Amino acid sequence: MTAADLNLGVSLYSYTSEYAVTMTLDDCVEDVAEMGARGLEILGEAHVEDYPSPSSAWLDAWFARNDRLGLTPTCLGSWVDTRRFPGRAMTVEEAVEQLETDLRLASQLGFRYLRPKLGVVTSDLEPDPVWLPATERVLGLASELDIVVCPEIHWPSAIKSKVVDDYIALIQRTGTQHFGLLIDTGVFHKSMHHRSGGVASRMGDGGARPPLTPVVPVSDLEDVMPYVVHVQAKFYEIDDDLVDHHIPWDEFLEVLVRHGWSGWLSSEYEGDYAVGRASDQLRRQHALIRLALQRLASQEGVTS
Amino acid sequence: MLDTHMIQTRGFRNRADGGFEVRLRLPYYRGLWASLVDGASVTVDGERFAPEDIGWSIGSGSWSLEGMRADTSARWQLEDAAVLTVPRSEPLALGFHDVAVELRLRMSYIPEELQPTVWWEERKLVITQ
Repeated sequence: MTAADLNLGVSLYSYTSEYAVTMTLDDCVEDVAEMGARGLEILGEAHVEDYPSPSSAWLDAWFARNDRLGLTPTCLGSWVDTRRFPGRAMTVEEAVEQLETDLRLASQLGFRYLRPKLGVVTSDLEPDPVWLPATERVLGLASELDIVVCPEIHWPSAIKSKVVDDYIALIQRTGTQHFGLLIDTGVFHKSMHHRSGGVASRMGDGGARPPLTPVVPVSDLEDVMPYVVHVQAKFYEIDDDLVDHHIPWDEFLEVLVRHGWSGWLSSEYEGDYAVGRASDQLRRQHALIRLALQRLASQEGVTS
Repeated sequence: MLDTHMIQTRGFRNRADGGFEVRLRLPYYRGLWASLVDGASVTVDGERFAPEDIGWSIGSGSWSLEGMRADTSARWQLEDAAVLTVPRSEPLALGFHDVAVELRLRMSYIPEELQPTVWWEERKLVITQ
């Protein structure tokens, strides 16, 4: 396996604040293809018209567009909204129904991975306990459809955490090939980026603050690499010298390449909101990643 | 296509049967089950209208806030602006108004003590007739 085996894609999450405002779905997908990306990640609840039941016309357009542009569907983002029912918790049955709906939609659209974002019950982001029985109940369907369910490890969660241990325990206990980890590169951020632009918002009415988490070293990846199936290449800002001051790409990519990892790096721009900014920043990131992979490939050549 | 603003330029108007309407874009990055909306307050020229008094229309559905939160299969899709129906005895006068909206949404993946997520915006909007 060499550095060249990593595949670059883009998540349409990157176009938040532009999608449906300054860009149509066509505009976003064409932008992804134009920059040379080959993988396409979308969010079911954002980008699938009439989610969870798109029309046959929408489906036809989805396949025709991907064929024309040479794009492969990678990961479908989904949510298990455990607070969906005011005044009561979500039942295991309801969580199963949500996961099955999204697995079937992912399969219908040609995706290989499903990222369910799970509701949490504690301040340190422990998922709602329904996640375990509900996930176990849908592993059969995931296997039948050959889709890998992969919850994301996303800031402020850490790689060395009970959540990740529990996910790995499920894989080890069941031996499933259809559950894995999605790493969001935001967990490795070296400094906080405060996003500007967009509609003003705050979390909650009280004085509660998001938990402070230590910087997660890239070396924490080493132990979990066998379970990593997909990467959301989260980034905030790449400057005019093509430098990312927040995410340590060289270190991160070195680990992936050394482990012979061959999945998708699916870019997620989460920087300042401004018209046209996502398209420019995504191109900068792809150039930065390709240059880093070229450096790693030339080092491989020297040492082998 | 929608306006960049949460409070849409189009759709601010008096209703023939009393009250007025304000249209909102979902300022979030995905569509939602409508039961995750905790409500919105509207303030026009300093006069505040409480979330529980405001009616909601999204796509083909229309509800009171309570009715929308009880309808657990209704969705607020990203491309659909919601029309808020605000009761008021007198129509709003022609011309400029200071319009402010505070929208509250429940996110399942954020710790409870940091919820709901609250979005707010204030704009000058025009009543044209």
